[in-house]
Amino acid sequence: MTPPSESDLLLTQRIRAGEADAWSELIARFEGRLLAFVESRLRSRAVAEDVVQETFIGFLTSLPNYDDSRPLETYLFSIAAHKLTDHLRREGRRPTLPLVPGPVGSSSFDPAGPARAASSIYRSSERRQIEEQALVEAIDGQLRHWRGRGDWRKIQCAELLFVRGWPNKQVAAALDISEQAVANTKFDFLARLRTAIRSQLLPRDVFPELYEVE
Amino acid sequence: MAAPIRQADLEAYLDEALPADQMARVERALRNDEELLAKLKAIYSRRDSGVHTLGEIWRRHRLSCPSRQRLGNYLLGALSDDEEDYVVFHLETIGCRYCRASLNDLEKQQAEAHADVEQRRRKYFQSSAGLLKK
Repeated sequence: MTPPSESDLLLTQRIRAGEADAWSELIARFEGRLLAFVESRLRSRAVAEDVVQETFIGFLTSLPNYDDSRPLETYLFSIAAHKLTDHLRREGRRPTLPLVPGPVGSSSFDPAGPARAASSIYRSSERRQIEEQALVEAIDGQLRHWRGRGDWRKIQCAELLFVRGWPNKQVAAALDISEQAVANTKFDFLARLRTAIRSQLLPRDVFPELYEVE
Repeated sequence: MAAPIRQADLEAYLDEALPADQMARVERALRNDEELLAKLKAIYSRRDSGVHTLGEIWRRHRLSCPSRQRLGNYLLGALSDDEEDYVVFHLETIGCRYCRASLNDLEKQQAEAHADVEQRRRKYFQSSAGLLKK
C-alpha cells in the first residue's frame, strides 16, 4: 500500500486554497491513467473523456469531504469507477439494482439515497472506517513482512485466495505449489490477522471471514 | 469450459475493478442468470450492513498494487527477477485494472517521450549531416 505522498498532500492543500496551477497539475498528473481506466470499458474516446471530466468535477465537489490520508490516485480511481458505473447503467449495460449503488469507496462524496435498506447490524460510518482501517493495517503489515523477506509466493498465494477468491486447488496449480502449502499460507495469514484484530478489541461479527477456518 | 463467476468476481464487478473483458463477461451472464443477479443483490445488502470481505478491503485499498514508480521501473526493465515476476502476476493473473491503466498511461508517456527524442535526433542529424566527409 502506497501511502499519500508529500507532493499529493501539498497538491491537495494548494487546490483547496484555490490555486489554478495546482489544479492544472493534478489534471496533468492523473488524466492519462484515468482515461486508460475508463476507456477500456467504453467504445468511444469522446465519451471516455467526458467521464474523466465528470471524475475531476466530482473530485472538486467532494474536496471538502476528502480525507487527505487516503491516497489521491486511489480516490480518483474510485470516483472514476462510480462515474463509469453511472454511465454504463444509463446505457443499459449494467443492471439496475434496487439498493444503494456505486463502487465501494465512492460513498464519501455521494449523498445517501432515500431508498436505503434496513441494516441488520447498524454501525456508524465512522465506526466502519475504524474497523476497516484496523484490517487494512493488519493486511498491509503482513504483506510488508512477506515482501521484506522476499516471500513473493506467499503474497501471490494470499492474493489469489482472497482477492480473486480462487479455491486452494486452483491456487496450487497456478503457483506450482502443493495444496498443503496453500492451506498453510491461508491458515497462517488469517491467524495473524485475527491476532491483529483482537488487539483492537473488534468483535468477531465484523470480519466473520477471519474465523471460518479457526 | 468457461471459468465460474465467483463471489470475488461479483464484488470486483460492483467496483468496476475486473479487467474489461471480464467485466463484459459478468454483464452478459447477469442478463440471463437470475441466480447470479440474486448473488449480486446479496453482496449489495451485505455491504449495506457493513460486513466486509478481506478481498474487497484488499482491493479497495490497493494493498498489493505496485507503486507507479515500480511500474515505471518495470517498463524500464529495472526490477529484480522476483519483483518483475510479481508485477506480471499482478497485472495478468490478478488482472488489476488500476495498475493496468497506470501502466498503459506510462507506456504512452514513454512513447511520446521517445517520439520527442527521435525528432530531436533527426534535427541534429539534418543540421550536421552535410559536414560528413563524402
